[in-house]
Amino acid sequence: MSQGLELEGASFRYGQLWVLVETSLRVPPGGTLVLTGENGVGKSTLLYLLGGLVPATTGRVLLGGHEPSASRPSDLVRHGVRRGFVFQHGGLLSNLSALENVALALRYHADLFGIDEAIARERAREALAELRVAKTDLHALPAHLSVGVRQRVSLARALAIEPNFVFLDDPDQGLDQATTELVLDLLVRLRDDTRMTVVLTTTDPIVVERLGVPVMRLENGRLVSEERRA
Amino acid sequence: MRSTVPFDPRASRAPESSLAGRLGRRVVDVFRRAEGLLATLGAAALAVRTPGLAAREVVRRVLFTQILYTGFQAVGLVSAIGALLGATIVIQIELMVPSADSALIGKVLVAVVLRELAPLITAIVVAGRSGTAIATELGNMQVNHEVLALSSLGIDPARFIVLPRLVSAAVSVVVLMVYFSAVALIATAGLGLLLASAGSESLVGGIRSALTPYDFALFFGKGLGLGTLVGWLSCHYGFGVKSSPTEVPQMASRAVVMSLFGAVTFNTLLTAVFYWTVGPPLR
Repeated sequence: MSQGLELEGASFRYGQLWVLVETSLRVPPGGTLVLTGENGVGKSTLLYLLGGLVPATTGRVLLGGHEPSASRPSDLVRHGVRRGFVFQHGGLLSNLSALENVALALRYHADLFGIDEAIARERAREALAELRVAKTDLHALPAHLSVGVRQRVSLARALAIEPNFVFLDDPDQGLDQATTELVLDLLVRLRDDTRMTVVLTTTDPIVVERLGVPVMRLENGRLVSEERRA
Repeated sequence: MRSTVPFDPRASRAPESSLAGRLGRRVVDVFRRAEGLLATLGAAALAVRTPGLAAREVVRRVLFTQILYTGFQAVGLVSAIGALLGATIVIQIELMVPSADSALIGKVLVAVVLRELAPLITAIVVAGRSGTAIATELGNMQVNHEVLALSSLGIDPARFIVLPRLVSAAVSVVVLMVYFSAVALIATAGLGLLLASAGSESLVGGIRSALTPYDFALFFGKGLGLGTLVGWLSCHYGFGVKSSPTEVPQMASRAVVMSLFGAVTFNTLLTAVFYWTVGPPLR
Protein backbone atom coordinates (compact mmCIF):
# COMPACT_ATOMS: atom_id res chain seq x y z
CA MET A 1 0.00 0.00 0.00
CA SER A 2 1.80 3.12 -1.25
CA GLN A 3 -0.35 5.56 0.72
CA GLY A 4 -1.11 5.39 4.39
CA LEU A 5 -3.97 6.86 6.36
CA GLU A 6 -5.02 10.43 5.70
CA LEU A 7 -7.51 12.58 7.56
CA GLU A 8 -8.30 15.72 5.59
CA GLY A 9 -10.00 18.53 7.53
CA ALA A 10 -12.29 16.01 9.18
CA SER A 11 -14.91 16.76 11.81
CA PHE A 12 -17.34 14.43 13.49
CA ARG A 13 -20.31 15.15 15.67
CA TYR A 14 -23.22 13.37 17.33
CA GLY A 15 -26.11 15.83 17.25
CA GLN A 16 -24.73 18.89 19.05
CA LEU A 17 -21.70 17.06 20.44
CA TRP A 18 -18.43 17.52 18.55
CA VAL A 19 -16.02 14.61 18.93
CA LEU A 20 -13.48 15.93 16.42
CA VAL A 21 -13.15 19.40 14.96
CA GLU A 22 -11.46 20.25 11.61
CA THR A 23 -8.51 17.90 11.96
CA SER A 24 -5.94 16.81 9.43
CA LEU A 25 -3.59 13.95 10.08
CA ARG A 26 -1.38 11.56 8.15
CA VAL A 27 -0.03 8.20 9.21
CA PRO A 28 2.54 6.97 6.67
CA PRO A 29 2.31 3.41 5.30
CA GLY A 30 3.79 1.04 7.84
CA GLY A 31 3.57 3.70 10.55
CA THR A 32 2.02 3.38 14.00
CA LEU A 33 -0.03 6.00 15.83
CA VAL A 34 -1.20 5.81 19.41
CA LEU A 35 -4.31 7.79 20.41
CA THR A 36 -4.89 8.57 24.01
CA GLY A 37 -7.20 10.76 26.08
CA GLU A 38 -9.52 10.68 29.03
CA ASN A 39 -12.41 8.24 29.29
CA GLY A 40 -15.46 9.35 27.30
CA VAL A 41 -13.57 11.89 25.23
CA GLY A 42 -14.37 10.02 21.99
CA LYS A 43 -11.26 7.91 21.31
CA SER A 44 -13.27 4.93 20.10
CA THR A 45 -15.40 7.11 17.83
CA LEU A 46 -12.26 8.72 16.44
CA LEU A 47 -10.88 5.24 15.76
CA TYR A 48 -14.12 4.30 13.93
CA LEU A 49 -13.74 7.50 11.92
CA LEU A 50 -10.10 6.80 11.06
CA GLY A 51 -11.03 3.25 10.11
CA GLY A 52 -13.75 4.50 7.79
CA LEU A 53 -16.52 2.78 9.76
CA VAL A 54 -18.39 6.03 10.33
CA PRO A 55 -18.53 8.87 7.82
CA ALA A 56 -17.00 12.22 8.75
CA THR A 57 -19.46 15.08 9.29
CA THR A 58 -17.12 17.27 7.24
CA GLY A 59 -13.82 16.48 5.53
CA ARG A 60 -12.79 12.96 4.62
CA VAL A 61 -10.70 9.94 5.47
CA LEU A 62 -8.53 8.12 2.95
CA LEU A 63 -7.17 4.63 3.44
CA GLY A 64 -4.49 3.81 0.94
CA GLY A 65 -5.79 6.69 -1.18
CA HIS A 66 -9.36 5.38 -1.20
CA GLU A 67 -12.35 6.84 0.56
CA PRO A 68 -14.23 4.13 2.50
CA SER A 69 -17.93 3.72 1.79
CA ALA A 70 -20.04 3.07 4.89
CA SER A 71 -22.81 1.53 2.78
CA ARG A 72 -20.58 -0.69 0.60
CA PRO A 73 -17.41 -1.49 2.53
CA SER A 74 -16.51 -4.33 0.17
CA ASP A 75 -15.41 -1.71 -2.39
CA LEU A 76 -12.36 -1.04 -0.23
CA VAL A 77 -11.31 -4.70 -0.36
CA ARG A 78 -11.72 -4.67 -4.14
CA HIS A 79 -9.25 -1.74 -4.18
CA GLY A 80 -6.76 -3.81 -2.22
CA VAL A 81 -7.37 -2.15 1.14
CA ARG A 82 -7.80 -4.67 3.97
CA ARG A 83 -8.77 -3.46 7.42
CA GLY A 84 -8.36 -5.39 10.62
CA PHE A 85 -10.36 -3.94 13.51
CA VAL A 86 -10.32 -4.98 17.15
CA PHE A 87 -13.19 -3.54 19.16
CA GLN A 88 -13.00 -2.68 22.84
CA HIS A 89 -16.17 -4.64 23.58
CA GLY A 90 -18.01 -7.11 21.39
CA GLY A 91 -17.49 -7.19 17.68
CA LEU A 92 -17.45 -10.97 17.37
CA LEU A 93 -20.51 -12.37 15.61
CA SER A 94 -22.42 -14.03 18.41
CA ASN A 95 -24.04 -16.74 16.27
CA LEU A 96 -20.73 -17.96 14.80
CA SER A 97 -18.05 -20.05 16.50
CA ALA A 98 -14.56 -18.64 17.08
CA LEU A 99 -13.30 -20.44 13.98
CA GLU A 100 -16.23 -19.27 11.84
CA ASN A 101 -15.73 -15.71 13.04
CA VAL A 102 -12.13 -15.72 11.85
CA ALA A 103 -12.89 -17.60 8.62
CA LEU A 104 -15.88 -15.47 7.59
CA ALA A 105 -14.04 -12.59 5.90
CA LEU A 106 -11.61 -15.04 4.26
CA ARG A 107 -14.56 -17.00 2.83
CA TYR A 108 -16.49 -13.87 1.84
CA HIS A 109 -13.52 -12.45 -0.12
CA ALA A 110 -12.05 -15.82 -1.14
CA ASP A 111 -12.13 -14.95 -4.85
CA LEU A 112 -10.41 -11.59 -4.24
CA PHE A 113 -7.81 -13.22 -1.98
CA GLY A 114 -7.28 -16.06 -4.47
CA ILE A 115 -8.05 -18.82 -1.98
CA ASP A 116 -10.73 -21.48 -1.62
CA GLU A 117 -12.92 -22.50 1.30
CA ALA A 118 -10.48 -25.10 2.63
CA ILE A 119 -7.56 -22.67 2.61
CA ALA A 120 -9.75 -20.03 4.28
CA ARG A 121 -10.49 -22.41 7.15
CA GLU A 122 -6.85 -23.46 7.38
CA ARG A 123 -5.72 -19.83 7.59
CA ALA A 124 -8.29 -19.16 10.25
CA ARG A 125 -6.98 -22.10 12.29
CA GLU A 126 -3.40 -20.86 11.89
CA ALA A 127 -4.35 -17.33 12.97
CA LEU A 128 -6.13 -18.68 16.06
CA ALA A 129 -3.20 -20.97 16.89
CA GLU A 130 -0.79 -18.05 16.63
CA LEU A 131 -2.87 -16.17 19.20
CA ARG A 132 -2.83 -19.28 21.42
CA VAL A 133 -6.53 -19.98 21.21
CA ALA A 134 -6.97 -23.58 22.37
CA LYS A 135 -8.37 -26.14 19.93
CA THR A 136 -11.17 -26.84 22.38
CA ASP A 137 -12.32 -23.23 22.00
CA LEU A 138 -12.41 -23.21 18.19
CA HIS A 139 -16.02 -24.34 17.91
CA ALA A 140 -17.35 -22.41 20.90
CA LEU A 141 -19.61 -19.40 20.50
CA PRO A 142 -18.15 -16.09 21.74
CA ALA A 143 -20.60 -16.05 24.68
CA HIS A 144 -18.97 -19.25 25.95
CA LEU A 145 -15.44 -17.84 25.83
CA SER A 146 -13.61 -15.84 28.51
CA VAL A 147 -12.86 -12.15 27.94
CA GLY A 148 -9.21 -12.89 27.23
CA VAL A 149 -9.95 -15.61 24.69
CA ARG A 150 -12.55 -13.41 22.99
CA GLN A 151 -9.94 -10.67 22.66
CA ARG A 152 -7.48 -13.12 21.14
CA VAL A 153 -10.13 -14.35 18.70
CA SER A 154 -10.79 -10.71 17.74
CA LEU A 155 -7.09 -10.18 17.13
CA ALA A 156 -6.89 -13.39 15.10
CA ARG A 157 -9.85 -12.28 12.98
CA ALA A 158 -8.28 -8.89 12.35
CA LEU A 159 -4.92 -10.34 11.37
CA ALA A 160 -6.06 -13.41 9.43
CA ILE A 161 -6.95 -11.32 6.38
CA GLU A 162 -3.36 -9.98 6.27
CA PRO A 163 -4.51 -6.39 6.64
CA ASN A 164 -2.66 -3.28 5.50
CA PHE A 165 -4.47 -1.23 8.16
CA VAL A 166 -4.97 -2.39 11.73
CA PHE A 167 -7.14 -0.52 14.23
CA LEU A 168 -7.17 -1.55 17.87
CA ASP A 169 -9.46 -0.06 20.49
CA ASP A 170 -7.90 -0.43 23.96
CA PRO A 171 -6.62 -3.91 23.06
CA ASP A 172 -5.19 -4.72 26.51
CA GLN A 173 -8.15 -3.65 28.61
CA GLY A 174 -9.51 -6.13 31.13
CA LEU A 175 -7.00 -8.87 30.32
CA ASP A 176 -5.00 -11.06 32.67
CA GLN A 177 -1.21 -10.71 32.89
CA ALA A 178 -0.39 -13.52 30.43
CA THR A 179 -2.83 -12.29 27.78
CA THR A 180 -1.66 -8.69 28.28
CA GLU A 181 1.92 -9.80 27.62
CA LEU A 182 0.80 -11.68 24.53
CA VAL A 183 -1.03 -8.60 23.24
CA LEU A 184 1.90 -6.29 24.02
CA ASP A 185 4.31 -8.57 22.15
CA LEU A 186 1.89 -8.65 19.25
CA LEU A 187 1.62 -4.85 19.22
CA VAL A 188 5.40 -4.56 19.03
CA ARG A 189 5.42 -7.00 16.11
CA LEU A 190 2.70 -5.02 14.34
CA ARG A 191 4.63 -1.79 14.94
CA ASP A 192 7.71 -3.32 13.30
CA ASP A 193 5.78 -4.77 10.35
CA THR A 194 6.19 -2.26 7.53
CA ARG A 195 3.26 -3.74 5.59
CA MET A 196 0.77 -2.58 8.18
CA THR A 197 -0.34 0.89 9.22
CA VAL A 198 -1.43 0.65 12.84
CA VAL A 199 -3.64 2.95 14.89
CA LEU A 200 -4.56 2.11 18.44
CA THR A 201 -6.26 3.80 21.36
CA THR A 202 -5.11 3.24 24.89
CA THR A 203 -5.10 4.78 28.33
CA ASP A 204 -2.37 2.44 29.52
CA PRO A 205 1.07 4.13 29.94
CA ILE A 206 2.76 0.72 29.67
CA VAL A 207 1.47 0.30 26.11
CA VAL A 208 2.66 3.82 25.22
CA GLU A 209 6.07 3.21 26.71
CA ARG A 210 6.48 -0.23 25.16
CA LEU A 211 5.64 0.96 21.66
CA GLY A 212 7.64 4.19 21.76
CA VAL A 213 5.82 5.73 18.80
CA PRO A 214 4.12 9.13 18.26
CA VAL A 215 1.22 9.67 20.64
CA MET A 216 -1.71 12.02 20.02
CA ARG A 217 -4.09 13.03 22.78
CA LEU A 218 -7.73 13.79 22.04
CA GLU A 219 -8.91 16.83 24.00
CA ASN A 220 -12.08 18.82 23.38
CA GLY A 221 -12.32 17.66 19.78
CA ARG A 222 -8.68 18.47 19.00
CA LEU A 223 -5.73 16.12 18.51
CA VAL A 224 -2.68 17.31 20.39
CA SER A 225 0.76 15.78 20.09
CA GLU A 226 1.97 14.45 23.44
CA GLU A 227 5.49 15.78 22.70
CA ARG A 228 4.08 19.28 22.25
CA ARG A 229 2.24 18.98 25.56
CA ALA A 230 5.42 17.94 27.31
CA MET B 1 -29.83 1.41 4.75
CA ARG B 2 -30.27 2.80 8.21
CA SER B 3 -27.15 4.35 9.70
CA THR B 4 -24.98 1.96 11.66
CA VAL B 5 -23.12 4.81 13.33
CA PRO B 6 -22.79 4.11 17.05
CA PHE B 7 -24.86 6.50 19.08
CA ASP B 8 -23.76 8.82 21.84
CA PRO B 9 -26.66 9.40 24.27
CA ARG B 10 -25.13 12.74 25.32
CA ALA B 11 -26.14 14.06 21.89
CA SER B 12 -29.82 13.19 22.30
CA ARG B 13 -30.61 16.21 24.47
CA ALA B 14 -32.37 18.41 21.94
CA PRO B 15 -32.12 22.17 22.62
CA GLU B 16 -35.25 24.05 23.64
CA SER B 17 -37.08 25.63 20.73
CA SER B 18 -40.30 27.42 19.78
CA LEU B 19 -43.53 25.75 18.65
CA ALA B 20 -42.60 26.41 15.02
CA GLY B 21 -39.18 24.93 15.67
CA ARG B 22 -40.66 21.78 17.20
CA LEU B 23 -43.15 21.44 14.34
CA GLY B 24 -40.38 21.89 11.80
CA ARG B 25 -38.27 19.26 13.53
CA ARG B 26 -41.25 16.88 13.49
CA VAL B 27 -41.69 17.33 9.72
CA VAL B 28 -37.99 16.81 9.13
CA ASP B 29 -38.16 13.65 11.29
CA VAL B 30 -41.02 12.24 9.19
CA PHE B 31 -39.08 12.81 5.98
CA ARG B 32 -35.92 11.33 7.49
CA ARG B 33 -37.84 8.24 8.59
CA ALA B 34 -39.32 7.79 5.13
CA GLU B 35 -35.90 8.29 3.59
CA GLY B 36 -34.39 5.75 5.99
CA LEU B 37 -37.08 3.19 5.16
CA LEU B 38 -36.52 3.56 1.43
CA ALA B 39 -32.75 3.52 1.93
CA THR B 40 -32.96 0.10 3.67
CA LEU B 41 -34.96 -1.36 0.79
CA GLY B 42 -32.80 0.35 -1.83
CA ALA B 43 -29.57 -0.91 -0.26
CA ALA B 44 -30.89 -4.48 -0.29
CA ALA B 45 -31.99 -4.14 -3.92
CA LEU B 46 -28.60 -2.72 -4.97
CA ALA B 47 -26.81 -5.46 -3.03
CA VAL B 48 -28.09 -8.00 -5.58
CA ARG B 49 -25.77 -6.47 -8.15
CA THR B 50 -22.68 -6.21 -5.91
CA PRO B 51 -19.81 -8.19 -7.45
CA GLY B 52 -18.07 -11.07 -5.66
CA LEU B 53 -18.67 -14.75 -6.42
CA ALA B 54 -17.41 -16.03 -3.07
CA ALA B 55 -19.59 -13.49 -1.27
CA ARG B 56 -22.59 -14.70 -3.27
CA GLU B 57 -21.96 -18.25 -2.06
CA VAL B 58 -21.66 -17.12 1.57
CA VAL B 59 -24.86 -15.08 1.30
CA ARG B 60 -26.68 -18.00 -0.37
CA ARG B 61 -25.93 -20.15 2.69
CA VAL B 62 -27.27 -17.44 4.98
CA LEU B 63 -30.39 -17.32 2.80
CA PHE B 64 -30.98 -21.08 3.10
CA THR B 65 -30.59 -20.87 6.87
CA GLN B 66 -33.06 -18.00 7.01
CA ILE B 67 -35.59 -19.89 4.85
CA LEU B 68 -35.25 -22.81 7.26
CA TYR B 69 -36.02 -20.58 10.26
CA THR B 70 -38.68 -18.42 8.61
CA GLY B 71 -40.44 -20.91 6.38
CA PHE B 72 -39.82 -24.51 7.31
CA GLN B 73 -40.07 -24.05 11.08
CA ALA B 74 -43.43 -22.27 10.70
CA VAL B 75 -45.09 -25.21 8.93
CA GLY B 76 -46.60 -26.71 12.09
CA LEU B 77 -48.21 -23.46 13.22
CA VAL B 78 -49.50 -22.68 9.72
CA SER B 79 -50.98 -26.20 9.46
CA ALA B 80 -52.89 -25.83 12.71
CA ILE B 81 -54.19 -22.34 11.90
CA GLY B 82 -55.15 -23.35 8.34
CA ALA B 83 -57.11 -26.40 9.46
CA LEU B 84 -58.88 -24.59 12.29
CA LEU B 85 -59.81 -21.60 10.13
CA GLY B 86 -61.10 -23.88 7.37
CA ALA B 87 -63.29 -25.70 9.89
CA THR B 88 -64.52 -22.38 11.31
CA ILE B 89 -65.64 -21.22 7.87
CA VAL B 90 -67.68 -24.36 7.28
CA ILE B 91 -69.30 -24.12 10.71
CA GLN B 92 -70.17 -20.44 10.12
CA ILE B 93 -71.72 -21.16 6.70
CA GLU B 94 -73.72 -24.10 8.01
CA LEU B 95 -75.07 -22.03 10.88
CA MET B 96 -75.83 -18.90 8.85
CA VAL B 97 -77.08 -20.60 5.66
CA PRO B 98 -78.30 -24.09 6.61
CA SER B 99 -79.40 -24.73 3.03
CA ALA B 100 -75.91 -23.92 1.64
CA ASP B 101 -74.62 -26.40 -0.90
CA SER B 102 -71.00 -27.29 -1.61
CA ALA B 103 -70.84 -24.86 -4.54
CA LEU B 104 -71.43 -21.94 -2.16
CA ILE B 105 -68.80 -23.28 0.22
CA GLY B 106 -66.38 -23.47 -2.73
CA LYS B 107 -67.06 -19.86 -3.69
CA VAL B 108 -66.66 -18.67 -0.10
CA LEU B 109 -63.39 -20.61 0.15
CA VAL B 110 -61.93 -18.79 -2.83
CA ALA B 111 -63.17 -15.37 -1.70
CA VAL B 112 -62.21 -15.73 1.96
CA VAL B 113 -59.35 -18.25 2.22
CA LEU B 114 -57.41 -17.89 -1.03
CA ARG B 115 -57.83 -14.16 -1.53
CA GLU B 116 -57.76 -12.87 2.05
CA LEU B 117 -56.90 -15.23 4.88
CA ALA B 118 -54.03 -17.15 3.29
CA PRO B 119 -51.92 -14.07 2.53
CA LEU B 120 -52.83 -12.16 5.65
CA ILE B 121 -52.61 -14.97 8.21
CA THR B 122 -49.35 -16.21 6.72
CA ALA B 123 -47.84 -12.73 6.81
CA ILE B 124 -49.00 -12.31 10.43
CA VAL B 125 -47.43 -15.65 11.38
CA VAL B 126 -44.13 -14.73 9.69
CA ALA B 127 -44.15 -11.24 11.22
CA GLY B 128 -44.90 -12.64 14.68
CA ARG B 129 -42.39 -15.50 14.53
CA SER B 130 -39.56 -14.23 12.33
CA GLY B 131 -40.12 -10.47 12.28
CA THR B 132 -39.48 -10.21 16.01
CA ALA B 133 -36.53 -12.61 15.70
CA ILE B 134 -34.96 -10.59 12.88
CA ALA B 135 -35.43 -7.23 14.61
CA THR B 136 -34.11 -8.61 17.91
CA GLU B 137 -31.11 -10.26 16.26
CA LEU B 138 -30.17 -7.13 14.31
CA GLY B 139 -30.74 -4.92 17.33
CA ASN B 140 -28.38 -7.04 19.40
CA MET B 141 -25.85 -7.00 16.56
CA GLN B 142 -25.94 -3.20 16.64
CA VAL B 143 -25.44 -3.08 20.40
CA ASN B 144 -22.53 -5.54 20.22
CA HIS B 145 -20.84 -3.68 17.35
CA GLU B 146 -21.24 -6.74 15.14
CA VAL B 147 -22.52 -4.69 12.21
CA LEU B 148 -19.51 -2.37 12.44
CA ALA B 149 -17.28 -5.43 12.68
CA LEU B 150 -18.74 -6.79 9.43
CA SER B 151 -18.12 -3.45 7.74
CA SER B 152 -14.55 -3.38 9.01
CA LEU B 153 -13.96 -6.74 7.34
CA GLY B 154 -15.33 -5.44 4.04
CA ILE B 155 -18.58 -7.38 4.38
CA ASP B 156 -21.56 -5.33 3.18
CA PRO B 157 -24.30 -5.36 5.86
CA ALA B 158 -26.98 -4.80 3.21
CA ARG B 159 -25.84 -7.88 1.31
CA PHE B 160 -24.91 -10.15 4.19
CA ILE B 161 -27.69 -9.23 6.63
CA VAL B 162 -30.64 -7.50 4.94
CA LEU B 163 -30.85 -9.19 1.54
CA PRO B 164 -31.09 -12.83 2.74
CA ARG B 165 -33.63 -11.95 5.44
CA LEU B 166 -35.76 -9.96 3.04
CA VAL B 167 -35.68 -12.65 0.33
CA SER B 168 -36.31 -15.45 2.81
CA ALA B 169 -39.34 -13.63 4.23
CA ALA B 170 -40.76 -13.14 0.71
CA VAL B 171 -40.12 -16.75 -0.34
CA SER B 172 -41.40 -18.14 2.95
CA VAL B 173 -44.66 -16.17 2.86
CA VAL B 174 -45.41 -17.34 -0.71
CA VAL B 175 -44.63 -20.99 0.05
CA LEU B 176 -46.48 -20.93 3.37
CA MET B 177 -49.48 -19.30 1.64
CA VAL B 178 -49.68 -22.17 -0.82
CA TYR B 179 -49.41 -24.63 2.04
CA PHE B 180 -51.93 -22.75 4.22
CA SER B 181 -54.41 -22.69 1.32
CA ALA B 182 -54.02 -26.40 0.72
CA VAL B 183 -54.52 -27.27 4.41
CA ALA B 184 -57.51 -24.91 4.75
CA LEU B 185 -59.12 -26.24 1.56
CA ILE B 186 -58.67 -29.85 2.65
CA ALA B 187 -60.06 -29.13 6.13
CA THR B 188 -62.99 -27.15 4.71
CA ALA B 189 -63.73 -29.73 2.05
CA GLY B 190 -63.57 -32.58 4.55
CA LEU B 191 -65.82 -30.97 7.11
CA GLY B 192 -68.02 -29.34 4.44
CA LEU B 193 -68.71 -32.64 2.73
CA LEU B 194 -69.67 -34.17 6.05
CA LEU B 195 -72.09 -31.36 6.91
CA ALA B 196 -73.38 -30.11 3.53
CA SER B 197 -75.90 -32.00 1.45
CA ALA B 198 -74.06 -31.71 -1.90
CA GLY B 199 -70.99 -33.69 -3.01
CA SER B 200 -67.39 -33.01 -3.84
CA GLU B 201 -68.07 -32.30 -7.53
CA SER B 202 -70.27 -29.39 -6.54
CA LEU B 203 -67.55 -28.07 -4.18
CA VAL B 204 -64.91 -28.24 -6.90
CA GLY B 205 -67.35 -26.65 -9.34
CA GLY B 206 -67.95 -23.79 -6.90
CA ILE B 207 -64.20 -23.23 -6.50
CA ARG B 208 -63.67 -23.32 -10.28
CA SER B 209 -66.47 -20.90 -11.00
CA ALA B 210 -65.16 -18.41 -8.42
CA LEU B 211 -61.53 -18.54 -9.60
CA THR B 212 -60.38 -16.11 -12.28
CA PRO B 213 -57.01 -15.82 -14.04
CA TYR B 214 -56.45 -12.67 -11.97
CA ASP B 215 -56.51 -14.78 -8.82
CA PHE B 216 -53.03 -16.14 -9.50
CA ALA B 217 -51.66 -12.62 -9.91
CA LEU B 218 -53.44 -11.53 -6.72
CA PHE B 219 -52.24 -14.58 -4.77
CA PHE B 220 -48.58 -14.33 -5.68
CA GLY B 221 -48.60 -10.53 -5.74
CA LYS B 222 -49.90 -10.47 -2.19
CA GLY B 223 -47.46 -13.16 -1.09
CA LEU B 224 -44.35 -11.52 -2.51
CA GLY B 225 -45.44 -8.06 -1.41
CA LEU B 226 -46.36 -9.03 2.14
CA GLY B 227 -43.21 -11.14 2.61
CA THR B 228 -40.98 -8.36 1.35
CA LEU B 229 -42.77 -5.87 3.59
CA VAL B 230 -42.27 -8.00 6.71
CA GLY B 231 -38.58 -8.68 5.97
CA TRP B 232 -37.93 -5.06 5.05
CA LEU B 233 -39.58 -3.49 8.11
CA SER B 234 -38.07 -6.04 10.50
CA CYS B 235 -34.55 -5.32 9.22
CA HIS B 236 -35.15 -1.58 9.21
CA TYR B 237 -36.35 -1.41 12.80
CA GLY B 238 -33.68 -3.86 13.93
CA PHE B 239 -31.04 -1.48 12.61
CA GLY B 240 -32.88 1.31 14.43
CA VAL B 241 -31.32 0.16 17.72
CA LYS B 242 -28.48 2.52 18.55
CA SER B 243 -26.47 1.67 21.64
CA SER B 244 -28.62 0.37 24.47
CA PRO B 245 -29.94 -3.19 24.97
CA THR B 246 -33.18 -1.67 26.31
CA GLU B 247 -33.94 -0.42 22.80
CA VAL B 248 -33.97 -3.97 21.41
CA PRO B 249 -37.43 -5.05 22.66
CA GLN B 250 -38.82 -1.60 21.81
CA MET B 251 -37.65 -1.85 18.23
CA ALA B 252 -38.73 -5.50 17.94
CA SER B 253 -42.20 -4.51 19.07
CA ARG B 254 -42.27 -1.59 16.64
CA ALA B 255 -41.12 -3.88 13.82
CA VAL B 256 -44.04 -6.25 14.40
CA VAL B 257 -46.63 -3.49 14.86
CA MET B 258 -45.52 -1.70 11.70
CA SER B 259 -45.33 -5.00 9.79
CA LEU B 260 -48.89 -5.89 10.80
CA PHE B 261 -50.20 -2.43 9.96
CA GLY B 262 -48.33 -2.44 6.64
CA ALA B 263 -49.54 -5.96 5.83
CA VAL B 264 -53.22 -5.17 6.47
CA THR B 265 -52.98 -1.92 4.49
CA PHE B 266 -51.23 -3.59 1.56
CA ASN B 267 -53.70 -6.50 1.59
CA THR B 268 -56.70 -4.16 1.59
CA LEU B 269 -55.31 -2.07 -1.26
CA LEU B 270 -54.67 -5.12 -3.45
CA THR B 271 -58.11 -6.56 -2.65
CA ALA B 272 -59.78 -3.26 -3.59
CA VAL B 273 -57.88 -3.12 -6.89
CA PHE B 274 -58.73 -6.77 -7.57
CA TYR B 275 -62.50 -6.44 -7.08
CA TRP B 276 -62.52 -3.15 -8.97
CA THR B 277 -60.98 -5.15 -11.85
CA VAL B 278 -62.93 -8.45 -11.74
CA GLY B 279 -66.26 -7.54 -10.11
CA PRO B 280 -68.06 -8.85 -6.98
CA PRO B 281 -66.88 -12.09 -5.34
CA LEU B 282 -70.11 -14.12 -5.23
CA ARG B 283 -71.83 -14.14 -8.61
